[in-house]
Amino acid sequence: MALLLITRFTLQEAIRRRLFLAVIILSALLLVAFIILLSVAINLFQSNSSANGGTLSPQLFLLSGGVFFDILMIWLVYLLSSLLTIVLTAGMISGEVEAGTFAVIVPKPISRTEIVIGKWLGSALILVVYTALMFFAFLAVIYWKTGYWPPQSFSALGTLELGMLALLGLTTMGSAFVPTIVNGAIVLVLFIGAPIASLVQFVVQVITPAQSQVLQNIATVINLIIPTDALWHGTSFFLLPSEDAFPILGLSTRNFNTPFTSTQPVATALLIWVAFYILVLPLIAILRFQRRDL
Amino acid sequence: MSQKGMMPAIEVEGLRKVYRHIVAVDDVSFVMYRGEAFGFLGPNGAGKSTVVKILTGLVAPTRGTVRVLGHPVSHRETRKRIGYLPELPTFHRWLQAGEFLEFHGRLYGLRGALLEKRCKEVLALVDLAGREHQKLGTFSKGMMQRIGLAQAILNQPDLVLLDELVSGLDPVGQRDMRELLRRLKAEGMSIFLNSHQLADVEALCDRVAIINQGRILKVGAPHLLFDEPLTVEVRVDAVSKQLLHRLGSVALAVKQDEENPCRLLVEVRNDEATADVAAIVHECGARLYSLAPHRRSLEQLFLRTIDASNR
Repeated sequence: MALLLITRFTLQEAIRRRLFLAVIILSALLLVAFIILLSVAINLFQSNSSANGGTLSPQLFLLSGGVFFDILMIWLVYLLSSLLTIVLTAGMISGEVEAGTFAVIVPKPISRTEIVIGKWLGSALILVVYTALMFFAFLAVIYWKTGYWPPQSFSALGTLELGMLALLGLTTMGSAFVPTIVNGAIVLVLFIGAPIASLVQFVVQVITPAQSQVLQNIATVINLIIPTDALWHGTSFFLLPSEDAFPILGLSTRNFNTPFTSTQPVATALLIWVAFYILVLPLIAILRFQRRDL
Repeated sequence: MSQKGMMPAIEVEGLRKVYRHIVAVDDVSFVMYRGEAFGFLGPNGAGKSTVVKILTGLVAPTRGTVRVLGHPVSHRETRKRIGYLPELPTFHRWLQAGEFLEFHGRLYGLRGALLEKRCKEVLALVDLAGREHQKLGTFSKGMMQRIGLAQAILNQPDLVLLDELVSGLDPVGQRDMRELLRRLKAEGMSIFLNSHQLADVEALCDRVAIINQGRILKVGAPHLLFDEPLTVEVRVDAVSKQLLHRLGSVALAVKQDEENPCRLLVEVRNDEATADVAAIVHECGARLYSLAPHRRSLEQLFLRTIDASNR
């Protein structure tokens, strides 16, 4: 099947390109560095807590710390996966057009739809696997050192992967319309713009206690245009312990109602929108690519 | 069946392509027959590459119809029977030559032992045997052309479209490619050759189309396109008034060389008139030392046609 041939080729290309190898090596180094840092931090904590005492037992304190480490490190995974998505796929179609490599592939007995879906599928597989590996690797390290494992880890991974696939949909569509560099810049600006909008909304709400409908509307529109930040908030919610465990661990929901984390799951309406987004944007890319002169 | 009882390999009718406001191809119509080598000639910007891209489905026409091997360009089964090599091709540099051919062979639907056999055969045909494991990123321009031709003929196509095949090759490589094309043609492959190398087109092609400013100016066998007078150089032992008079009656013009009066330049309508010139020399009692038609090359015809259309 020609579609799977393109998928295989995309996987092969990603693995053989130095960029992917560099990302894998850096990710492994990051993981090792994190293990060392976490071990040092826990040793310091254990030696201090035995000397000073505290309100929580050292074990519960470690568990509590595990929650924060989970959120911090999975946010890092979210950042790495998103950046890898942008770098790896901003030129999914435009890159081949610019290089002229499509000139010998498109005339072959394969439809342009199969080319786009095949490339999308190959990229999605790489990114899904990379994200899942990094996600579980950091969770496993934190569990090993602190004993904390989020009760809804698969839901957390699900929303994380959805965010990455949403970003992939956006880069796929963009690469069918604009040059690689332009596509990469647009998606990067949108990706960075979404959390900045969340931050602004948070700051304004702190300064002016009255709810601003305009700000709320702007945030909603931004989340519709690029739902990655909203999905990250969903991921952060699933990384938290169960509600019953909060007081035991000395935690409060206030600790997690921040511009970067949330104590609420992602709204169902947004999840439906994301599913639509992930499917429709590559379809728009297919329609555009079918009409594009090469 | 069409003209001469031959099946068409390519049928183009009323083809027009407009890029934004620029007309690249305008009302182009021609037929190329199966088993034929068809040359497509034109200066830069004439619209040659646009036509080739339309024939391969890379570009959609604004208007007009194109049929390749009897089907629209989008017909998947037809695409299995077509090979294409673009001008100055670029391939994925990280691939090894063998992997590159395997990928393209699989796109054509080849699998298993047949695919392996064809990969070896085409590598040998383009003189790249033993380079299977070499990365394309390390290939020279000429080697890129060769591996590009290898992928174009991997599926043993009925029709191969070649865009400036020899542009990156050294003289030896050019000779080898010409030989290969002759062999492929002899085996029955239809060849559409888009080229600036007029000598190649003249040597290989049964028919030629000349295109300029998006329009086809002439289509036909190279020798039939010569509708201009033929100049014959005649050298004799002596030139008499009778000889000049008799030659004047069959020729369009007769010029006597001022420095060498025994050398005449006789302008005749066609090759048959050349035989008349020889007979007249003999009848007038002169000894004929040489009679040499000045060969009109395709290049001359091409340049004259382009100049005339630009005027």
